Amino acid sequence: MSVHDSTIKTTAAVDETGAGTNRILQTRGLVKRFGGLTAIDDVDFAVEEGEMRCLIGPNGAGKSTFLKLITGRHAPSDGSVYYDGADITDLDSYERVDQGISIKFQVPSIYPELTVRQNLRVPLQRVASRSEYDERTEATLEQFDLLEEIDTVAANLSHGQQQRLEIGMAMTLEPDLMLLDEPVAGLSIEETEEIAELLVELNDEGVAFVVIEHDIDFVASIADRVTVLHQGEIFTEGSIEDVRADPEVKRIYLGESGEADAEERAGPEADH
Amino acid sequence: MDPYQLLNLLFQFLDSFAVIVLAAVGLAIIFGMMGIINLAHGEFILVGAYATVLSYHRIGLPLVVAMLVGVAITTVYGVVLERLIVRHLYDRLLDSMVATWGISLIMIQGVRILWGNSLDGVGTPFGSVSYGPYSYSTYRLVLAGIAVGVLIGLYVLFARTDFGMRARATIQDKETARSMGVDTDRMYLSTFAIGSALAGLTGALYAPTRSVGPEFGQEYVVEAFVTVVVGGASVIVGTSMAGGLLALVKSGATNQWGQFIGLAAMLVTAIVAIRLMPDGITGLLEDWRRARRESE
Amino acid sequence: MSADSALETITARVRSPFEGPNTTGNSNAFWTAFVLAVVGLFLVPAVSPGHVSDLTLFMSYAFLALSLCFIWGYCGILSFGQVAFFGVAGYTFGIVGINVGAETGALLGVVAALFVATLFAAALGYFMFYGGVRDVYVTIMTLVVALVLNTFMGQTAGSEWAIGDARLGGFNGMVGAPNRAIGTGSVAIDMTGDGLYYVVLALLIATYLGLRALVNSRFGYAMVATREDEDRTAMFGYNTKFIKLAVFTFGGTLAGLSGVLFMFWSPGGYINPDVFGITAAAMPVIWASIGGRTSLLGTTTAAVALQYLDQRLAASGSEYALVVIGALLLFVILVMPAGVAPYAERAVDWIRDGVSAKLRGDPESENENAPSNSEVTK
Repeated sequence: MSVHDSTIKTTAAVDETGAGTNRILQTRGLVKRFGGLTAIDDVDFAVEEGEMRCLIGPNGAGKSTFLKLITGRHAPSDGSVYYDGADITDLDSYERVDQGISIKFQVPSIYPELTVRQNLRVPLQRVASRSEYDERTEATLEQFDLLEEIDTVAANLSHGQQQRLEIGMAMTLEPDLMLLDEPVAGLSIEETEEIAELLVELNDEGVAFVVIEHDIDFVASIADRVTVLHQGEIFTEGSIEDVRADPEVKRIYLGESGEADAEERAGPEADH
Repeated sequence: MDPYQLLNLLFQFLDSFAVIVLAAVGLAIIFGMMGIINLAHGEFILVGAYATVLSYHRIGLPLVVAMLVGVAITTVYGVVLERLIVRHLYDRLLDSMVATWGISLIMIQGVRILWGNSLDGVGTPFGSVSYGPYSYSTYRLVLAGIAVGVLIGLYVLFARTDFGMRARATIQDKETARSMGVDTDRMYLSTFAIGSALAGLTGALYAPTRSVGPEFGQEYVVEAFVTVVVGGASVIVGTSMAGGLLALVKSGATNQWGQFIGLAAMLVTAIVAIRLMPDGITGLLEDWRRARRESE
Repeated sequence: MSADSALETITARVRSPFEGPNTTGNSNAFWTAFVLAVVGLFLVPAVSPGHVSDLTLFMSYAFLALSLCFIWGYCGILSFGQVAFFGVAGYTFGIVGINVGAETGALLGVVAALFVATLFAAALGYFMFYGGVRDVYVTIMTLVVALVLNTFMGQTAGSEWAIGDARLGGFNGMVGAPNRAIGTGSVAIDMTGDGLYYVVLALLIATYLGLRALVNSRFGYAMVATREDEDRTAMFGYNTKFIKLAVFTFGGTLAGLSGVLFMFWSPGGYINPDVFGITAAAMPVIWASIGGRTSLLGTTTAAVALQYLDQRLAASGSEYALVVIGALLLFVILVMPAGVAPYAERAVDWIRDGVSAKLRGDPESENENAPSNSEVTK
């Protein structure tokens, strides 16, 4: 899956990602200010090839803003984003997707008026030729357990099916890095487990992930490493056990406002 | 430039400002509060003007009373249309534009069929004020005063009254407002009625200033649209600021290069403003506020 | 049997570029009806010469209708100002034609008109889409552009408003564009009467088929995806701003073509600023809304039918044309928000299914036009 080889890249970013390292994504001194206030404050963040990373933190920690900086939806106020050996800070969203970054939004964002087949066609036609459409559509739907719904209009799918369809669409692009914003929000226990299995499977195939999620049990079931974001800064980083055991992390979650502990509870409870 | 010319320029500014604000404010309320772009707004103004002129000439009412009749009839007219047509188009912005365009075509032609290509004029009241070698219509200065009065009145209505509070709650989140016991259906109806009344007022007030025919409303509709779009979703702030900006450009350019260039300059300003501020002046303010909230 | 299936393979192959879920009518029955209709239209000059001139005009408007259907129905860009490109092309044709003269003037006029209309649309589109102007603001902006042109052309009555020999003429309009033939030197095509009718008809059929192929292509899917959800589509690696710009620009070319054909039809090569007016601007929107904005055929048919209705009413001395059309528009928006075409398609399917089931006594044979890619890609 990786495109790296021994060729020496001559961009300034050589020592950030790409040849010589196995980092696929790296941010350096990333800052995002809205008006006079700082949402993301000097974040250095790195993901290795094929890694499964979870990003957690209390509401308003800046997680979604951070993801939007990586996808190019927001332009940073300062700092740089490197991907696969190149500085992508000034690239448009669609150009970053071309480089191999793919995203699943927080709200299932499929094309509700189109059928499942037509939905898949949109990413598919970027990577496949006409004669491959049927075969690849069916293979993807098989993998995501949606084959029976192939001609269903997407608006009529269940919430879980929509989540799976969106991940399937994002995966069709064969990304090397996949960004997921709350992939299991609002799903049942079974559906959550299915998604977890799916992600682990894809990760085994070599896709790197950055997953924002509140459901700590879900995070524990998939993550290699966890990054905790707090007030726009990286608070701590480590294995899920370390982070769970860290009293400081508990403190910020239970922290200043009452909504924090509500949020931690929200994970497990959302399973019902 | 001697002081008289300066005064002349000021009067022209006030005149443009009054036209723009009065033409736009009804449209702005309906757009800002309900997300409906009423392309028949010009024909609501037309109803106000026709009702005023007809009740003045045919019934012989005094002008002020005729104007009040014009406002009342336009309001009723707006309420009827809201019940029959517009309420089916909430949350369908583009459809509402197309449908109201249909209403506009029907009304212009309908008025032409019923009353012909023009009505007898109503003389402009009050005479004029003279200063140095110039003079200016007193009535037009009164209109500028009324425009400012309307803005203040709307501010009080929306910022200080119970009705205003419920209206703003409805705009921000219809579902929540409903769960708090606000009858959102009635809020929409009242909002549409207020917007219609303001259009009627504009028609009534301007009926004595020029000849009245089926295309009367079209004269105002371009100004109204660009003002609303440049202003953005916030009714009073948006309309005042956009009205001020556009009136300044229009009166300045008109004074310098004549009426056509004045209008063209205003429209070009509007296009550039939309390009620079895709969500209007208030969109810019709102973005800034939201950004503040998001990072808190 | 095997000859039958060979024939079927050939027709399927010929049809395949024009078919897909983005267009209605992907069946043998549809194409048979289509061919019959085309033959019928080609016979009009022989059978009913009295209708040739009117049909020429209405079919010229159909290009304007197609331009809006293409950008609004397929890419979600609602322009209230398509007439701006129509009018700009018309005036450009006149200005160039009058200055160059005769059939060479007409030829250069066509080239210049399409070029200017396309460039104008590209400039406006770039200004809007790359500036983040969206949705309803695009709609208002395009309308304002048309109205600016209306105001501008309206005040060009003075003799200083002339480009070479072409007097713009203000609200009275510009006359004298050479529109009786097109060509150069000894080779010229007659562009009057039946000759013009056949040219317009052939262009219309070619444009319709071309657009069908386009909206069912990869680019067509990208357009539809952009219409459905622009941000999402960008996150699949599509440059949505460019897609919208390209679509809008091509829409400008089509509207410009409509304006040029109008000039060939227009007696005396006459055009006036009413083409930019608010009533003219409303017409394409009405055609697309009533016909069904996601149906190329529906919009085209609506343009011709509504213009015919308008003309009949006007010819009978009635003043109610605009009232009737406005009322029709209201009715369709309230009762059939997607326009007539989807309902017509459903009705046709329903009838055909009923008929074929009865004929074959076989209820399963009815699925031949299920909207799927499999039948397109064999």
